[in-house]
Amino acid sequence: MIGAVQKLLTNSQLASIAQNTTQSVTAETVLKSIGRPGFILIDKDIDSDTKQYAAAKEFLYQATCLAVYMVLIVPVFKKGGFKLAKEKIFKNTNGFEHFSNVNEYLHYRKLADNPSINNRQATLEKELLTTKDKVKDKYNATLLTELKKEKPEKFTYVKGAVELSNIIGSVLGLAIFAPQVSHAFIHPALKFLGLEKKDKAVDNQTRKIDTKA
Amino acid sequence: MALANFIKNTCKKLGENNKPTYVVMAIATVKGICRPTFTMMDKTENSETKKYTALREGLTEAIAIPAYWGCGELAGGLAKKIFNKDKALAGRAEKNLMFIGVCTAALFVIPALCSVAIKPIMDAIGLKTPEDKKNQPNTQTQLQKTYTQTQINPISNKKPFPQMQTFTSRPQIGLRVGGL
Repeated sequence: MIGAVQKLLTNSQLASIAQNTTQSVTAETVLKSIGRPGFILIDKDIDSDTKQYAAAKEFLYQATCLAVYMVLIVPVFKKGGFKLAKEKIFKNTNGFEHFSNVNEYLHYRKLADNPSINNRQATLEKELLTTKDKVKDKYNATLLTELKKEKPEKFTYVKGAVELSNIIGSVLGLAIFAPQVSHAFIHPALKFLGLEKKDKAVDNQTRKIDTKA
Repeated sequence: MALANFIKNTCKKLGENNKPTYVVMAIATVKGICRPTFTMMDKTENSETKKYTALREGLTEAIAIPAYWGCGELAGGLAKKIFNKDKALAGRAEKNLMFIGVCTAALFVIPALCSVAIKPIMDAIGLKTPEDKKNQPNTQTQLQKTYTQTQINPISNKKPFPQMQTFTSRPQIGLRVGGL
């Protein structure tokens, strides 16, 4: 048991998610979209109709935020931020000159984070599924030399530029843009599911009872 | 130039260590500013409801920011203590536990803190929920009710002959034609 917990706490894949803005935000939003409606549903102080309505509303809100974030924000800011940093802020310096796009850097970084040199070399010898070229053909001589070292250069400026851009995108997306979209989407979706109407009917019924009383 | 240097330094620091608390705290800060502003700009709601909603949204994010930071740092510190013998493992565990701490804050700590703290703070400020206001007895309506009740059940009804009190409830101002 203790061994399993220790393994989880020192898991390299989890550490990679924790250090990646988009992946960590996505993981949190997924957890919120499952956890928060779940807690509403197990609450014993609320009646069944209200619970269903509140849980569906919370789930739809989180799900819409996640969808907007994944579809619009992540690709735009990930690619745009790298391009802006490479062409304007750093002007092909501090490691940007080795990579033509963000995906190339992220792939290199994944290899550089692998502590085993043999594993890195094995990956470099693999063939790409689409073009049948070898993985190592994508990298220049400097990068290939770095990957042979025990502690290869990780080009922190490139990583930082990508993360900064992702943070800006996440803030704009999740704090400003996604809530507006989700508010426009939630009520029609709840009506479609038959939850909004039901709630209104219950509300009207209560009002009638109150008036008579 | 200063801005470019600031961006470069930020990129360097984020490249070395991008803590999971950074992004969630940034989102909470912007939400704490923008959401109350949007609420106050809404022209369809009345002023009191807007004030109440805006303050509630602001308070929620004001609670969320230290909660994210506290949970993340606390969990990170715990990792350092547990894995103090192995530095490489301690670094990785710190990142992982910090992420778990942030998720715990988002799922449990913030909703719990909000449900405990917001209502007393709102009451202390003097802002009540629109529902509370609806339930609160309105003094004007209550006065009207008492007035109507006295008209329906006048004291004179209990006796066979009308008394002077029955008529004095009429308004004593303005033009009156006939009668007392």
